[in-house]
Amino acid sequence: MSKKSRKLIRSTPVAGEAEAEVEVEAVVPAAPERTFFFLPDAPPLEVDEHELHGLMKLWRHGRATRSIGQVLQDSYVMLFSVVMIGAMVVSVVLRAQGNMAGCSTDACASGRLLVPTAMVLACFAVALGVARLFGPVLASAAEGFWLMDAPISRRRLLRGRLVLPLLLSFLVAGLGTALVGALSGLAWAQVLAWSCAAALGSAGLVSLAASEQTRERVVVVKVLQAVFAAAALAVLLVVVSVAAGWLPTTFVAVAEPATWLFAGVAAAGLIGMVVLLQLTVARLEEIRRARLVSGGSLVAGMQGAMFALDFGLIRDILVERRMAEKGHVKPTRGRGLGLAALVWRDVERLKRQPSAFLGLGMSLFVPYAVDALRMSQLNPFISGLALVAGLVPFLGSMRVLSRTGGLARTFPFKTAQLRTATMAVPAMLALVWGLAATPAFIGIASTGADRSLISGLSVALVTSLAGLMGAVRWVTAKKVDYQTPMMATSSGALPPGLIFNLFRGLDMVVLITAPLILQLPAYWSLVIGLIVFWALRGSFNMADLQAEQEQAKRELAEAKEGRGEKQKIPRPGR
Amino acid sequence: MARKTPVLKVTNLKKAFGPVVIVDGFSLEVAAGEAIALTGRNGAGKSTVLRCLVGADRADEGTVEVNGTRVSETNPDIRRDVATVIDDIDFFPDLSVVEHLDLLARAHGIPDADAAVDEVLHEVQLVPQSGQLPSTLSSGQLRRLALATAFIRPRKLLVLDEPEQRLDTEGVEWLADRLVEERRRGLAIVMASHDPTLVQKVATRTIRLGDRAEVLADE
Repeated sequence: MSKKSRKLIRSTPVAGEAEAEVEVEAVVPAAPERTFFFLPDAPPLEVDEHELHGLMKLWRHGRATRSIGQVLQDSYVMLFSVVMIGAMVVSVVLRAQGNMAGCSTDACASGRLLVPTAMVLACFAVALGVARLFGPVLASAAEGFWLMDAPISRRRLLRGRLVLPLLLSFLVAGLGTALVGALSGLAWAQVLAWSCAAALGSAGLVSLAASEQTRERVVVVKVLQAVFAAAALAVLLVVVSVAAGWLPTTFVAVAEPATWLFAGVAAAGLIGMVVLLQLTVARLEEIRRARLVSGGSLVAGMQGAMFALDFGLIRDILVERRMAEKGHVKPTRGRGLGLAALVWRDVERLKRQPSAFLGLGMSLFVPYAVDALRMSQLNPFISGLALVAGLVPFLGSMRVLSRTGGLARTFPFKTAQLRTATMAVPAMLALVWGLAATPAFIGIASTGADRSLISGLSVALVTSLAGLMGAVRWVTAKKVDYQTPMMATSSGALPPGLIFNLFRGLDMVVLITAPLILQLPAYWSLVIGLIVFWALRGSFNMADLQAEQEQAKRELAEAKEGRGEKQKIPRPGR
Repeated sequence: MARKTPVLKVTNLKKAFGPVVIVDGFSLEVAAGEAIALTGRNGAGKSTVLRCLVGADRADEGTVEVNGTRVSETNPDIRRDVATVIDDIDFFPDLSVVEHLDLLARAHGIPDADAAVDEVLHEVQLVPQSGQLPSTLSSGQLRRLALATAFIRPRKLLVLDEPEQRLDTEGVEWLADRLVEERRRGLAIVMASHDPTLVQKVATRTIRLGDRAEVLADE
């Protein structure tokens, strides 16, 4: 037994403990034939939550098979790679910041100020959304079952749980905004002001969400989330409008006051965080177990999916949770027969997910913003990725029909037919997106792309095809197969598909848009896109081909055996 | 007497997971109007056999044919003829109970889908839950919905893995009556079950899986 556990177990007894122990010892030997005994009538002892927490921590550490030092030692190659790549990224960011800071056009000046501003607002919206989704205060199912029923102070047990969400929101928002600010060409003092505003503002909003969680209210958080998301979108719209010359450029003049404004936001975020934290901690005692455990079980499910790097599964868990909250819908009657019924059902689905249109709409701003930022060469790739994110919510049917064979088996169609039918509505949306994004690929900013109408239209359509194929690949990618031979890596044995899971979707966008980035004619991308479409719709089923090959081999072997037996028939004697 | 043409023909089926052989040399012929019950203790291989029959798992050796066509999970003819309720059933999270049935009926080309859906919905007693999303249904209601998806569509072979699971007593009785009726109408049924009453009422043949497949009763 370790010194620490001895210390925990032999904690100083409170008054009455000695008597209670004596009573227990006296009762048990008196009735040895009993298979159970009632609890003694002695008053329960007071629990020290700090010690309880320490004991749980000790048990968890006791189950670890390797220390952090050993883990770092084993994965030193990966760490070294991360440091190297990080250094390269920082170097690229510094160089890009220098280049962008040198640009003095109206489009650059407005983009430099407004894109990081949109990022700050987006960070606020995301921080509120994630905080509302998980809690932000949460407890595991085991803690909910074993500890929440015990006579312990929830406030003392849970107050430490606020640290992690606050720290995460602070770091992610701060670093993300710093990166965007630097890439936009802001001066370093301004980068600091914007980053602090994002980091402290996000932490303050997470504190607000925690405070609302203790009161079991979500309205304020939801409204603020929508306001910040709409504001971020509006700012991006202004960036595009300025770049297109639709709005006058007066942003260069407000750069100085804006820095002070964001410094003020940072200060307000800090004050808000401190005040709201005090309120939240005071109210933690009243928080309901169900409200804590739901976030904990969500984290547990998502952790499992993260170990397999299965982001599709993570999305499935979130969708399932949202639908469980919704519970009931007004049923609508289908139309058509056969595959048309599937397509019509997808059309009906559009009415049920207005928020998905918001995501698709936001992705439409990306090509305009990228063009305004003078990155037209990379526009098909970046916008294609944005479209992947925008289209995934519309591929719900395809996802469900691909993840397990059970539901697909109930439909009397080939896999390729099912996929084509479930791709029809997203393909129409991608086409509309491509048409709406065409001006961005023709070039709206004086320093952006400069293409003819036909060329711009073809690049826009290829980008929408790349986005669609990326989204299809994302939702239909198979789960990691742990039964295949493992790959030896510095971090231990890994199934080969695990790493590729990180790049699913991205790979198709790269493949289709690569000719455009390399300044080859658009028809190369179109040809690659059609080949990808043919493969992704399930026309090329590796498992079926393998099975057919195995079957053919087996039949050949049987035929050979049959011939062998024939040869053994003795010839009639002369 | 001339034997009927088999709807399902299984020849020398073998399936192993690593070194553990689950089933070996399993053969079976099921004609229209026959109901086969697979019984046996947990781990005897009932579900594995059923998964191989519908193509969800690939057999290591042997063949499975439905109406003379080699079974493949992706073959549309097999999908059209075989209705299954096994452990890998999934539902669209954003479609209600009635919308699932409506979609399946229309996908299978049933002309009067509304009437068919109403009938099945009443039969599985899910009318009050018709607008509910699957994630809010109880486990018993989910089982009823799974059975409804098998009954709403045209079928020649019905494959069920422990269909009585999570059903209440009334539900098991309804299921037994329904399966008897299906069998009499000429449907071929293969099911795994632990419920002796259901097996006795529905099955024309019972096969107990274990160390060796054994035909226990033949009607």
